Amino acid sequence: MTAYILRRLLQTAVVILLLSYFCYLLMTLMPGDPVDEMIMANPEITSADIDRLRALHGLDQPVWVRYWNWASSIASGDLGYSRTYRVPVTDILGPRLLNTFVLAGAALLVAVIVAIPLGVWAALRKNSTADYVINLFAFAGISVPSFWIAIVLILVFAVYIPIFPAGGTGSIAFDMTPWESFVDRLKYLVLPVLSLSFLSIGTYVRYTRAAMLESMGNDYIRTARAKGLGWPRIYLMHGFRNALIPLITVTALSFSTLFSGAIITETVFAYQGVGQLVFESIQSNDFNVAMVAFMISVSMVLLMNLIADLLYGVADPRISYA
Amino acid sequence: MSESAAVPKVHQQAQYEAQSMASILLEQFLEHRMAVIGFSVIAIFLAIALLAPVISAVSGLDPDRQNVFNRYQPPGSHLDLSTHERELRVQTFLRQSDRSELVRFLADRELLEFAVDDEDLLYELVTQHASIHLAGMLLELQSEAPDSARSDLHALRNLVAEFRSFHLLGTDELGRDVLIRLVYGTRVSVTVGLLVAFVSGLIGLLVGSLAGYYGGRTDAILMRFTDALLSLPILVVLIVVSAIDLGKVFGGTPLAFIVESRHESVIKMILILCLFSWMQAARLVRGSILSIKEQEFVLAARVLGAKDRTIIGAHIIPNVIAPLLVAVTLGIGNAILFEAALSFLGLGIQPPTPSWGNMLNNAQEMVQHAPTLAILPGLLILFTVISFNYIGDGLRDAIDPKSIRR
Repeated sequence: MTAYILRRLLQTAVVILLLSYFCYLLMTLMPGDPVDEMIMANPEITSADIDRLRALHGLDQPVWVRYWNWASSIASGDLGYSRTYRVPVTDILGPRLLNTFVLAGAALLVAVIVAIPLGVWAALRKNSTADYVINLFAFAGISVPSFWIAIVLILVFAVYIPIFPAGGTGSIAFDMTPWESFVDRLKYLVLPVLSLSFLSIGTYVRYTRAAMLESMGNDYIRTARAKGLGWPRIYLMHGFRNALIPLITVTALSFSTLFSGAIITETVFAYQGVGQLVFESIQSNDFNVAMVAFMISVSMVLLMNLIADLLYGVADPRISYA
Repeated sequence: MSESAAVPKVHQQAQYEAQSMASILLEQFLEHRMAVIGFSVIAIFLAIALLAPVISAVSGLDPDRQNVFNRYQPPGSHLDLSTHERELRVQTFLRQSDRSELVRFLADRELLEFAVDDEDLLYELVTQHASIHLAGMLLELQSEAPDSARSDLHALRNLVAEFRSFHLLGTDELGRDVLIRLVYGTRVSVTVGLLVAFVSGLIGLLVGSLAGYYGGRTDAILMRFTDALLSLPILVVLIVVSAIDLGKVFGGTPLAFIVESRHESVIKMILILCLFSWMQAARLVRGSILSIKEQEFVLAARVLGAKDRTIIGAHIIPNVIAPLLVAVTLGIGNAILFEAALSFLGLGIQPPTPSWGNMLNNAQEMVQHAPTLAILPGLLILFTVISFNYIGDGLRDAIDPKSIRR
C-alpha cells in the first residue's frame, strides 16, 4: 500500500514537472510578452531601451533557461508578482483556491443528493414513464453547455424573478455579523452551484441507474425476496449497497470534471475562483499568475484522482495495491 | 393442422439465416426510439449546414451584413434598409437602363409634397416614404401607367419590396440577422464536431493498437502518457492552449498558410481539440485489442505466417471498429460542447465567422434586453449534442452482443 502510494505520488510529480515546462512553453507562444506591454504603454521608447528591457527580464534567453530561472524561484518559495493586481501571487491565490473548493464541493454534494435517488428510482421502475423521463433529464444534463445553463439561470432567477444575485462572490459590506455574511455567501453560491452541478447530475444518474440495475439482477436479491424481506431492506441494504462501489469511484473521479467545469461557471458568474483567475490572467497577459494558477489547479486535480484511486480500494476489498 | 404450423417454422428459419450482421445491427438500432429521433434531428441539421448558402440566397439574408441602426430587434421584426443603402440601390437601378419614361410618369403623379428635379425624384421617393407605403402606392399606379413605363414600374416595385427585410429571430448586437447566423453557425459547429471526432478516433486507433498489440514497454509509455492527459482538467488546459498565437508556432514553416487563411480560428480549434480528445478512444482500442489478440483466429493467422501489419489491419481493426464507432459518436457531442465553451469565452472561433458558442459571447451582457439571442444558440447546441449522445447510446445497444435478441 505504502509503496503504491509512493509510486503514484512520484508519477504525479513527474507529470506536474513535465506539464509545467509544457505550460511555460505555451506561455511564450501567446501573443505579447511583458516588454510588448511596456512598449505599448510608452510611445517614446527607443529600440535600445527595448533591448535593455528584454535583457533585464531575461527575454533574450532561450526558453529552457527562462524556465529554469522561473522554476528555481518557484522552488525557493517565490511565486512572483501579479502585473494586474500589483501584489504577490501568493496573496491572490489562497482565497481564490478556497472559493473554488467551496463551489466544487457544494456542487458535488448537490449533484450526489439529487442524482442518486433519481438513479435508484429509475432503475427500480425500469422502462416506466418515470425511467424514461429521468433518462431524458440525465441525457440533457450531459449534453447541455454549462455556460448556457448558467445564463438561463441568471435570466430566470436574477432577471425575471430577482431572488438571487446575478454574479459575484459576496456583498461588499462591513457591518455584517458572521451569520449574516454566511447567509450572504450562500445567496451568491446558489446559482453557480446549481449550474455546475447540473452536468454532474446527468453523469451520476446514468451511473447510478446502471449500477443499481446490475446489482438488482444478482442472485442474492432473489434470495432476499425468497426470505420474505421487506422492500426497503432488499432495495437499500442488498441492492443499493452493492451498487455503491462503482459510484464512489465515479464521484471521486468527477472532482476533476467539476474543477474543470468551474472555470466556465466562475467566469459567467464573476465568481472569484482559481478557474476565473486562470482565464483572466491569460486574457490580460499576467503570465506569473496564469502559470501558478494553472499549475495549482492541475496539481489539485491530480491529487484528487490519487485519492479517488485509494478510496476505490477502501470501498472494494477485492482490489489490492500489491 | 400440423402441416400448416410447420410451414411458417421453416420459413422463419430461412429468414433467420439470411439476415446479415449489418441488418441485425440496423434492426437493433431502429428499436432505440430516441436514437432514431436523434438521427433524424442530426440529418436535418446536416441538411441545413450543407444548404446554408442556398438558404442565404433564397431569403436574401447575409450573415455578415450589419445594420447598426437596428440592433437587438425582437424576433419577427420587419426592418427597412438604411437610407444610404436605399440610395445606392436606386443608383444601380437608374444606371441599369433608361428609366426616363418611368420618372416622367411618376413626376406627373405628384407623389411628393414638394417639387424636385426629375433626376432626384426616385431618390426622394425611396427615402421619404416607408418602403411598405411606397410599395402600396406603386401597386395602385400600376393600372394607370402607360405601356412604355409599365415594366419599369414593375421593376421599381420589386426593388422597393427588397428594401424591407423580415427577421424571424430578430437581429444581434450589430444588427445582423440571427436566423441566418444560426444557420451558418450550424455549419461551423457541426463541421468542427465531426472532424474532431473523426481525427481523434484515428489517433486513438493508432495509439491504442500500437500499445495493445506490442504490449511491454511501448504499452507502458503510451498508456502512461494517455493516462496523464486523461487526468488533466481538460477545459483548463484547453483554455491555456487556445490562447497561443498560431503565428508564433507555424511562422516560417510550410504550414504558415493556415495562419493567413480566413478560417484560421476554425482550423486552430480543430487542431487543438484533436490533440486533447483521442485518449478515451485509445484506451478503448487498447482494451479490445488485449482481449482480441488472445483469441484463436489471431494465433491461426500468425501460424500461417501473417505479418504484424496484416494481423492488425485485417483481423484486429475490424473487431475494434464497432466500439470505436460508439466512442467517436459520443466524441462528436463533446467536441461541439468544448468548441462552444471556448468560443463563448472568446478563445475559440473568432467573429465574424458565426459559431453557436461565439454568438452567446455577446448575448450574455444583453440577456435582459434580448433574451432570445442567448437562448437560441444554446438550445441548438443542446439539441445537437443530445442527438449525438442518443445515437451513440443506440449504437452501443445495437452492437452489444448481450442485448441482441433473436
